[in-house]
Amino acid sequence: MIRRRVYQGILMLLLAAGCVATTLPFLWMLSSSFKTNVEISALQQRFFPRTLSFQNYRDVFSKLNFLRYFMNSLFYAGALTLITVYTSSVSGFVLSKYRFKGREALFGAIMATMMVPGVVTMIPRYSIMQGLDLIDTYRSLLIPAVFTSFGIFLMRQSCKGIPDEMLEAARIDGANEFYVFHRIVFPMLRNAISSIAIFQFLWAWEDYLWPYLMIRSEDKQVLSVALNMFSGRYSTDYAGLFAATSITIVPVVVCYLVFQRRFIAGISSAAVKG
Amino acid sequence: MRIPRMPARPLQSKSEVILRNIVVVCLIAFFITFFFAPILIALIGSFHLWNPLKGQFVFNGLTNWKTAFQSSLFWRSMGNTVYYCVIAVVARVVIGMALASALFSRLTAGKSVFRTLYYLPTITPMIAVAFVWKFMFQPRFGLLNQVLGTQINWLFDSHYAMFAILLLTIWKDFGYAVVILLGGMYALPSDCYEAAEIDGASSWQRFSYITLPLLKPTTFFLIITSLIAYFQNYIPVMVLTEGGPGTITYVASYIIYDQAFVKYNFGYSSAISFILFVIIAVLTLVSFRANGMLEGRKHA
Repeated sequence: MIRRRVYQGILMLLLAAGCVATTLPFLWMLSSSFKTNVEISALQQRFFPRTLSFQNYRDVFSKLNFLRYFMNSLFYAGALTLITVYTSSVSGFVLSKYRFKGREALFGAIMATMMVPGVVTMIPRYSIMQGLDLIDTYRSLLIPAVFTSFGIFLMRQSCKGIPDEMLEAARIDGANEFYVFHRIVFPMLRNAISSIAIFQFLWAWEDYLWPYLMIRSEDKQVLSVALNMFSGRYSTDYAGLFAATSITIVPVVVCYLVFQRRFIAGISSAAVKG
Repeated sequence: MRIPRMPARPLQSKSEVILRNIVVVCLIAFFITFFFAPILIALIGSFHLWNPLKGQFVFNGLTNWKTAFQSSLFWRSMGNTVYYCVIAVVARVVIGMALASALFSRLTAGKSVFRTLYYLPTITPMIAVAFVWKFMFQPRFGLLNQVLGTQINWLFDSHYAMFAILLLTIWKDFGYAVVILLGGMYALPSDCYEAAEIDGASSWQRFSYITLPLLKPTTFFLIITSLIAYFQNYIPVMVLTEGGPGTITYVASYIIYDQAFVKYNFGYSSAISFILFVIIAVLTLVSFRANGMLEGRKHA
């Protein structure tokens, strides 16, 4: 019995150490974002700020227009999520429920693109966008991501689970295919939709290189690229960067804590099916 | 995986033909434009002197490829990539396995709280987290030196720079491994464990003779997806060290980024990106075959 207690104690200690390691950097970032630059680089360090100052946030929002970048990121990630949820569902539906020549070949080719490293297609895509004169527009961010092979894969799996009899019944009642997809299939894909939406949103939110290459005007820039401003022109503004990274990270963390069940279910299902 | 044959529907309605044609045409157009054509362009471009700023696109044969294979920086960064990938993957799997088994144990309370917190770094944006860690590594007031009581100049000391990049990577990603492996453990048949317990197997024996062998497919999935992801990971290097000090922390994907979008050597960068592509393709194919063998043995 005592051995069991000791064992349990060691176990909990190990797990708690893991928790400290994961959360400490976030807490440090958050607490530093309320410090002044002088306090951040002071010789005598304290974990918590002497006085809670919102000056960094005020500066980041008023001098550097971070509200704008935040809204831009929200728009980009939100629009991309809506688009890919829809395109993945409809492609998944067609590729699983319709039988036609070349279906497996098409699906295989789409799956094969999953192993193409992003860096290989990046340079030609850049040239294509330049050729189409789309640089510095949001279209250049959205168009190359209209379809995602991961989303199509997940949706095709989910559509397979929908019984054919159900669709057949609607067809006999005179529904056309557009009705069948939008009114019957789409609502049944709820779980897969939330998984894809979560991942797509997070990916777009942290997307760095593509917006960095495509967007030139400062007022169109997204949050993740804007973080770069601190390592260049404002090289010593630690306080500002802590506030800016907090603005980038905290909304994601809050969403995650609220919807954590969906997050975990999402990645587990993707892994098991993959 | 084979799809079971669906009963052939006798009549294809007009709306089915329309919907199917719209989707198929869009899919083909999209994947050609943004995947297959770019791959071809990259391959062709790798045989050219290609600088978009100067408007250059001149055939230069194998020059880019030769330059790559003769460049010591290329070989160093390839070596670094392998080193980085192997350490990061091993650490991810070992830490993930340790914490997942700890969470799997019946002695543990508050499982979901732990799991939630472990997964936290994985969902946060890499670029933002990398900036936070850049200051964690700051020698004078960074958190790491304060906690450890050391005075290491993490990012500018050639002995520690790669270790710092690895530390960030491992911290960011171990939670994913915990969630995946724990999910795998819950899916294992519980009667094995009951039988082992009746036979008086210790918890270590249960782990090494039941959990570990049965978890092979999940672990395998984790290793392969991690390897492929880490081969392409350049953001930690870009934010933390920019390949420095000197060229100590150059990795292959960082050279590609650096050559393409800092120096605008599109042709040379395309050649290196193709080498990376071939390595990843081979890894993927080998993994599919090996996975098939694992599956085959399970059914045999």
